[in-house]
Amino acid sequence: MAKALNEALRHSMAEDPRALVLGEDIGKLGGVFRVTEGLQEEFGSARVFDTPLAEAAIAGVSLGLALAGWHPIAEMQFDGFSYPALDQIISHIAKYRYRSRGRQTVPLVVRIPFAGGIGAAEHHSESPEAYYAHTAGLKVVVPSSPIDAYGLLRASIADPDPVIFLEPKSRYWSKEEGSLEPGADGLPIGKARVVREGSDCTIVTYGAMVARSLAAASRASADGIEVEVLDLRSLVPLDLESLGASVSRTGRAVVVHEAPLTAGFGAEVVARIVEDCFDYLEAPVIRVTGYDTPYPPATIESHYVPSVQRILAAVDRVTKY
Amino acid sequence: MAVRDFLLPDLGEGLEDAEVATWRVAVGDQVELNQVLVEVNTAKALVEIPAPWAGVVERLHAAEGDVVEVGKPLVSISVSEEAGEQGKTKRRAVLVGYGVEEEEPPAAPSSTAGRRKEEGGPVAASPPVRRLAKELGVDLATVIGTGPGGRVTREDVTAAGSSPVGDERVPVRGVKRLTAEKMARSAREIPHVTTFLTVDASNLAGFRRDLEARLGSKLTALPVIVRAFVEILKKHRSLNATFDAAASEIVLRGDIHVGVATETERGLLVPVVRHADRLGIGALSAEISRLVEAARSGRSAPDELTGGTVTVTNVGSFGAEFGTPIINHPESSILAVGVIEPRALVVDGRVEARQAVTLSLSFDHRVLDGAEAGRALRALGALLEDQSGLEALPS
Amino acid sequence: MLPLDESAGPDPASLGLKEEELRELFRLMALTRRADLEATALQRQGELAVYPPLIGQEAAQIGSAFALEESDWIFPSYRELGSAIVRGVDLVEYLHFYRATWHGGTYDANAHRFGYVSVPVGSQILHAVGYAMGAKMDGVSLVTLVYFGDGATSEGDFHEGCNFAAVFEAPVVFFCQNNQWAISVPVAAQTVAPIWRKAQAYGFPGVLVDGNDVLAVYQATREAAARARDEGTPTLIEAATYRIGPHSTADDATRYRTGEEVDAWRALDPIDRYRRWLARTGVADDSYFETVEDETRQFAARMRAGVISSEPRPVEEMFEWVFAEIPPHLARQREEALRLASEDGKDGGSG
Repeated sequence: MAKALNEALRHSMAEDPRALVLGEDIGKLGGVFRVTEGLQEEFGSARVFDTPLAEAAIAGVSLGLALAGWHPIAEMQFDGFSYPALDQIISHIAKYRYRSRGRQTVPLVVRIPFAGGIGAAEHHSESPEAYYAHTAGLKVVVPSSPIDAYGLLRASIADPDPVIFLEPKSRYWSKEEGSLEPGADGLPIGKARVVREGSDCTIVTYGAMVARSLAAASRASADGIEVEVLDLRSLVPLDLESLGASVSRTGRAVVVHEAPLTAGFGAEVVARIVEDCFDYLEAPVIRVTGYDTPYPPATIESHYVPSVQRILAAVDRVTKY
Repeated sequence: MAVRDFLLPDLGEGLEDAEVATWRVAVGDQVELNQVLVEVNTAKALVEIPAPWAGVVERLHAAEGDVVEVGKPLVSISVSEEAGEQGKTKRRAVLVGYGVEEEEPPAAPSSTAGRRKEEGGPVAASPPVRRLAKELGVDLATVIGTGPGGRVTREDVTAAGSSPVGDERVPVRGVKRLTAEKMARSAREIPHVTTFLTVDASNLAGFRRDLEARLGSKLTALPVIVRAFVEILKKHRSLNATFDAAASEIVLRGDIHVGVATETERGLLVPVVRHADRLGIGALSAEISRLVEAARSGRSAPDELTGGTVTVTNVGSFGAEFGTPIINHPESSILAVGVIEPRALVVDGRVEARQAVTLSLSFDHRVLDGAEAGRALRALGALLEDQSGLEALPS
Repeated sequence: MLPLDESAGPDPASLGLKEEELRELFRLMALTRRADLEATALQRQGELAVYPPLIGQEAAQIGSAFALEESDWIFPSYRELGSAIVRGVDLVEYLHFYRATWHGGTYDANAHRFGYVSVPVGSQILHAVGYAMGAKMDGVSLVTLVYFGDGATSEGDFHEGCNFAAVFEAPVVFFCQNNQWAISVPVAAQTVAPIWRKAQAYGFPGVLVDGNDVLAVYQATREAAARARDEGTPTLIEAATYRIGPHSTADDATRYRTGEEVDAWRALDPIDRYRRWLARTGVADDSYFETVEDETRQFAARMRAGVISSEPRPVEEMFEWVFAEIPPHLARQREEALRLASEDGKDGGSG
């Protein structure tokens, strides 16, 4: 996935001369996850530059750059460090188009490696998507696989609105067969994807939990339960149509995310399912998520992040209801 | 000149009222735009309020020390026409400066269109309805939904399933159980055929009336018919027989014990008139009555309910014209007597209304054939139609 | 530069400004004073929800805004009605922010190169820096000037913005109107190091100027803009002035400062001070002052008429500029809101 993201940046930078990449350690070092590797060499330090260690400034300056007609692609080095930028993102980036009645727009992307499962220290495994999803005016995109990551990042860069692009860091080194489809438009934002078809139950999920849900679905299949896995890809805008079609067809849904349970994005998904698919529900819609605790120390994080076992238990519960 | 009321504005983001501290003008004063009219004390500060229009002060709506609510008149000023025109857009007082409005109750969430049920696709039914269907064992796919968008409703499920009360299971015990077993056995083992004859009952009716008068006690037609039947049985012995399948023999019974099918609370009982051939009509009638009474009250002696060799059933007592009675196993025939009522009969080539009764004779086709049964029934009919024949019966 | 007393002061010809420009400075300050008072009155009359008066700070705003080129960008905080006038922003549209008609007011920032009111204190500093960086990258010769108060210098965004600007050599003028008070907190309780001196920490010049001397403000800003434009070196200007009025119309300043203090500063009124110099030097005469007086009256009357006749925006605008294109989930909500609004028979309503 890291490579695919790198390619996306490369292609977008090549096609869009107004695209910029900025952040901490993204230039010379190529990013702590190597996602921006080689970009400064190729496009020069005027367009690919390291910034001082100041997240609020990275966001606020990106806004200023966008107002001046650039297309900044800013990186927050880790999820836990994106919080100082929240004021600039929530108070301004999300609201500028609205405030200016459309005269000033904010075509920027904030890339944030997020979520856990990599044995990291505190603050390096946060899942902050709900904060961004809850802020009107932001789009929130979460790829789950390398090829999707390419297409979604390209689309995010081309999008006229501010996009918070959350990259599941545990999947940075995941591999996928296939070819990147270089269109500047990329994959459409706001369209979910059925990554596995099934008739008995739908798992609605995103990011790193897609792979885990697929593993659970495989196991369930051995027991004769065919699970459909729906990868949301965009949290905002949410693909209500695909969500409704899948859950109405299977009649059962399990929502999986790593972020904590209470007021997590899963609650939004469940609410939508209840609103749109009520007449087709055979069982309650349940969530499999992180617990309502701070992300735990890595030595016990496997108990926190939804496991295949927990997901299967949920599938079991709804299919036997 | 128009008099305009200046309403006290919300001076500080959500204040509800203010106290008039000092009036800086008096009624009759000419004031200029923005000239300070009054000082008021709010919860936050002492505030000077400037005149929104030029004009003459007409009225002060509060005295110093009074508390005025936001949105209520503070001072009235008569303004020139154009000054009046300025703010003429008589719109609702804007939120701005006029305090917080009462919240309107949130509207109910708009119902999003339900999905149409597709052919063979998932059935639309809310979770509680699904549960009900499960409980009632109703397959939703077989139910026609009458709700919006073809949704299956609670009513649809309860209608499709059993009645609202559901199937009722009634235990069959005692007499009914035995009867059921007997009936089933009879139907299983005996090849039944039924033959019918409609009889002109004019003479029978008259005879019954006369005999009743002579006996001095109630007499129905049934005992008469039974006694006539008994006469026929003497000559047509196959009707009073039993088929012994094991021995492959027909047993022609020597005695004539007539069972009379009787409806009781406990079920169908068949008390037996022993040696019916030895009884006259009157005695027979009395015996039948006695047996029926005993059966109905549950006081039949055990041997009264067994030992019959032939059975008569009065289907006319519940209005049936005729029937296809089931033989009382292991007998070889059963006579059903229908209702006696006026019928259209052909008499001497003309249709006349006559009292008539239809006799139904079911017989065991292993023991008799249709010819024999027909002859026997004809003979009974002839006897019942014949005045002298009736009168020849022992009374 | 302008004396507080009746001594001569600078020679008008030495300032690099034409006489009509010198008079223009006065006119702009006079308009600002009048409009500011009118806006305050409008709030007291219920026509504005709230208003933060700038009375006493006219010289700081006019002097600085006047010193910029037309192509330069101003990023205001929330008290710069004076600078808005210099930029030609229609005050009725500007005041739409305070009338709660729209969060940015209704003017077009691009047309006036004057940004939108920024409430989170100091947050606009980063935008100004980013904009300047962006312009520089395009090879455009442009300066951004960002206004903020003494309180803002305590915010992280001020620090981060100054640092960024220095590192990237962004053509920014950081203009602090130190009006001595951050609501009720006096500047002595706000920070220890003098504000102008903080620039040293970032490696660029810091300048203290008498914010009530319009000519000095003009001069300092002109220099700073040139330094930014030509060298890519930012400047931090601290304009010492005073907030004669309360923080906003919702504030009661008598609770934390004395009438004596306010009166002392009132006596140092920047407009009066400049007017006397203009008269002394003969750059302007009584008939000019009268003309200006008339003009301010009309200006204020037009502003008043425009404000009180303006209506709330239609409800559909609530959904209009969230995204470039309205996504399905939001379209649903808009449908509901519009349906309810039309059922009520109110358009937008005032609730």
